[in-house]
Order: sequence, then C-alpha cells, then structure tokens
Amino acid sequence: MTRVRVTAPRSVTPNGTALNGGRSAAASLDAEEETDAGQLFVRSLIRSQLRLGLVVALGFLLIMLAFPLMLGLVPGLADSTIAGLPFDWVLLGAGIYPVIGLSAWLYVRTAARNEARYRDLAGDK
Amino acid sequence: MNPVVGVAAFAAVSLATAVIGFYGLRISRTTGDFYVASRTVKPWWNASAIGGEYLSAASFLGVAGLILLSGTDALWYPVGYTAGYLMLLLFVAAPLRRSGAYTIPDFTEARLDSRAVRRVTSLVVVLVGWLYIVPQLHGAALAIRITTGLPAWVGPVAVVAVVCITVVAGGMRSITFVQAFQYWLKLTAVAVPIVFMLLVLGGNSSPAEAAPAVNPTALAPSGPYQVISLLVALLFGTLGLPHVLVRFYTNPDGQSARRTTLIVLGLLSVFYLFPTAYGMIGRAYAPDLAQSGPADALVLLLPGRLVGGAAGDLLSALVVAGAFGAFLSTTSGLVVSLAGVISQDVFGGSVRGFRLAALISALVPLGIASMTESLALAGSVGLVFAFTASTICPVLLLGIWWRGLTDAGAIAGMVTGGVLCGSAMVAGSVLGATQTPSWLAQPAAWTVPAAFAVTILVSRATRGRVPRTMTRLMTRLHTPERPLATER
Repeated sequence: MTRVRVTAPRSVTPNGTALNGGRSAAASLDAEEETDAGQLFVRSLIRSQLRLGLVVALGFLLIMLAFPLMLGLVPGLADSTIAGLPFDWVLLGAGIYPVIGLSAWLYVRTAARNEARYRDLAGDK
Repeated sequence: MNPVVGVAAFAAVSLATAVIGFYGLRISRTTGDFYVASRTVKPWWNASAIGGEYLSAASFLGVAGLILLSGTDALWYPVGYTAGYLMLLLFVAAPLRRSGAYTIPDFTEARLDSRAVRRVTSLVVVLVGWLYIVPQLHGAALAIRITTGLPAWVGPVAVVAVVCITVVAGGMRSITFVQAFQYWLKLTAVAVPIVFMLLVLGGNSSPAEAAPAVNPTALAPSGPYQVISLLVALLFGTLGLPHVLVRFYTNPDGQSARRTTLIVLGLLSVFYLFPTAYGMIGRAYAPDLAQSGPADALVLLLPGRLVGGAAGDLLSALVVAGAFGAFLSTTSGLVVSLAGVISQDVFGGSVRGFRLAALISALVPLGIASMTESLALAGSVGLVFAFTASTICPVLLLGIWWRGLTDAGAIAGMVTGGVLCGSAMVAGSVLGATQTPSWLAQPAAWTVPAAFAVTILVSRATRGRVPRTMTRLMTRLHTPERPLATER
C-alpha cells in the first residue's frame, strides 16, 4: 500500500492551547486514515481491542460472581478456615487481587499485540 | 492518645509535602510544565503518584471502619476500588491518552466538536470534584478531633491551606513527586503498625480466635442488589474520576499509559490488604468502636490500643501521618484537576488563572464540609462513584468506542444520570441512613443503565449530528503512536 503523508492542523482548544499529545508532528495524520483500506484496518483494530476488553471484563466479572456463589453453594466452605482465618475473608480480602492483576497483565500483552498486528497491516514500520 | 503525637505527625507530613512541592517548583517553569509535567513522568513515578492520589480518606480510614461495622459485605469496597482500575485499563487508559486532551471537558469537546458539551461536562466534573473533596475534609475533621482533641474544623482548614500552598506554588510537576511520595508514605503508615500489632497479638494468647465472624453491630447483611449496585458504582465510577484521568496525560504514549495502569493495580492490591487486616483485627479486639464512637477512627486508634507505651505512640504517629497524607494527596489531586478545568474554561488557561482556580476549587468544598455532617467515609465516597458512573462514564465509554455518539446524546445522558443520581443522593440524605430503601441508598444499578440508554437513544435520534471530525478522532484514539515509542 502506498502511503501519502498529509499534514493537518491539530485540533486546538478554544483558548489556543494545543491538544498535542506529545507526539511528533509527523504522526499527526496519515493518508491511511482517509482511504477506505486504511479505515478498514482502523475499524478492525478498534473492534478487536473492544472485543478484548469485553472478554477480559466479562471473564473477571464471572470469576467475581463465582466467589459468592461458591460460598453459598458449597456446604461448609464459608465456615472453613485457612491458617486460622475464615475462608470467605481470605477469598474476598486477598484472593481476588491476583485475579485482577492477572486479567490486567493478559490484557496489556494482548492489546499491544493487536496494535503490532495493525502496524504490520497498515505498513507502518 | 497523646495529643502531641497527632499534631507532630500532621506537621511532619505537611512539611514534607511543602518541601517536595517547592523542590518541584525549581524545575517547573513554563505553563506546560505547570499543567502536565510536560508528559515526561516515568511509569513507576506516575503509577505511584496515581496510587497516592487515589488512596483517599475512604481507603485509608473508611474501608477498615466499614469492615468493622459490616464485615464481609464491606470487603467489596476495596475490591471495587481496585477493579475500577481494571475497567479503566480495559476501556479508557490508552485511547484517552492518545486523544491528547488534558481534561475530560477537553476530550468531550474534541470528540463531539461542541462547545455546549464542553460546558455541561465541565459542570459535572467540577461537581464530582467538589463532592469528592468533602469526605476528605470530613476525614480530616475526624482525625484531628480524635488524635489531638482540637476542634474539628482545624483539620479541614489545615488540609485546604497546605493543599492551596503546594498547588499554587508548584503545579502539576511538584504534585507528581508529592503524590508518589504520599503513596509510599501511606503504605508504610498502614503496613508497619500491622506488623507490630501481629507481633503483640502473637505473643499474647489470643482471646478471640474466630473473632472476624463476630458481628459487633446489629446491621443486617446487605442483599445481592446492594452488592451489585455498589460494584456497578465502583467499577464504572473510577474511570470517570477527574483527578485520576488527568494523571494519564503525563504518560508519554498509550502503551505506557497501559503499563502505568498495570503497576497501579499492583500498588492498590498490596495497599488494600492492610485496611482489610485492620478491619479484621478491629472486629476481634476493638468491637466497642463500632457501637460507640466513630468506626472510621479504627485505623487511627488500633495501634495505640494494641501496642502500648512509647512504641504505641510512635505507631499512632505513623498512622496519623498516613491519614493526613491521604487527605492531602486526594484533595490536592482533585484541586489540580478542577483548577485545570476551571482555569481553561473561565480564566483562559494562564498560570495566574490556574492559581486563582485552585483557590476556588479548594475553598468551596471547605464551605460545604463545614456545613455538613460526616457520614461513613467509604459510603459517602461510594455515592460519589455512583454519580460519576451515571454522568461521565457513559459519555467517556461511548465516546471512545461508539461512532454514533452525538453532542445531543451526550448532554441528555449526562443530565439524566446527574438528575437521577443526584436526587437519589438528596433523598437518601433527607430520609436518613435507616429510612432509606436500598434502591435509593445504592442508586447506581438503575441510574447508570438509564444514563447509557438515554445517551444511546438520543444519539440515535439525532444521527445527523455525528461530527464530521469523528472518523479522524476515532483513528487517533485507537491507533498506536508513531514513531514506535515502545517495544512490541
């Protein structure tokens, strides 16, 4: 795909403060954003990032939902103890944080991979 | 508690805050420095700063107090506070950074190409900020009364004074350093006493082994509706908090914004283990605090109770310092972000305007706090999350992920969510804690879907108003920056 660089003025707030996100000027606007093929890549990137976010969020919510269900459905579990501490306290007070961390780590890795794939597709090396 | 301990701890934290603030002033010169630290802050610094800013009175005092009062039900608060950052990471962090906007109103204006949307967003942001500062000041009033015996108003006034001095003098750059310092201060202040308390408790024959199961109050356990509604508020409220979002502009690019958020999640997870432990130990060894006296003071009083003598005084000084760190950091973070919004909208974005706006942002909530009574800190902050989730969250999420959002839809959604959630909050405070039905006490489960629905329906009805700049903006939000700033 041939790339033609088009420069466009950055959007500026009413009082004149530039909304420049610290990017180089060259990164402001690319032709691929305007062509149909470029937009196709962008749309598929957005879709895959949204899907990824939703999947991770849903997975996390299911695990969170499973915690009270587990306590309610498995008899005796709520009364059992780990190292002298009640099981439900350990589960909610400490056990859920590694799940959050793991979900976040998986997301960051996969999101970066999605972007790398987009860069390859869009010929942006 | 020895009153000198409280005063000394507060003075030490204020001094440290001011010194770091002035040190920061030497390196911040231009308006750009002043606002966003020129976006050169490293992820670790930035993550510590976000953690420092986010861990407010509600986290430091409120969580343990609420656990003391209502046991496992309250464990959802720290979980929600942390998981809110997961949602922020999944749906907001990188796109918002790439938008290049500094405040939420900047973002909505750029995305929807509308001045009216900007004004409504600014109004909501300022309202959220003020609502959020008030519980911090209530916490300060409580802490100063419990630890020094001075009149309660001294606490809020002192906090506002220190915040105004640091913010007006140093701006955002010094704030970043101050906030990063505050996270580690808070972690130390909450962790070290726990170690000593456990040593003391381990030495004694523990009188209450299965104590966390003991319920010191007659509060009924909350039903599934309350838990779900609370989680909706906390999960979706975090991603609209103005002082949290402002921090993301100090990241150099979208990918580093994600990495920063990942570190923040780790920092928060580690921190919240400790208030939970305080709550648990408090249920066993200080159940009287739940019946008489403020449960929110648990963290401040527990070390002195369990570890007596000079060691107890030292540990008390440490937790008091941490508590004031929490009030100072959250309040200054909010004041900086509110001042950013107010100064750009009203004073034209100059440094002088920023300073004036900072004063306004701090003094108004001081007035509100002095006129209102303190509720349970974690609960009142939970309501602010519900308000944010019903107003800013729909516009932000739909603006980032949905091409069909229009200015009319955004305004209608924010107004609907704000009016519904605001009236629930007012009705709740008029009826009082015991009379309020749970659907009014925890409104997020219906106000957030309502705000989303109105935003989508009105946007659909005004399809023609989708701005022409939309495609370009969506591309900017979601495509990685060039040149490659990060590894794959």
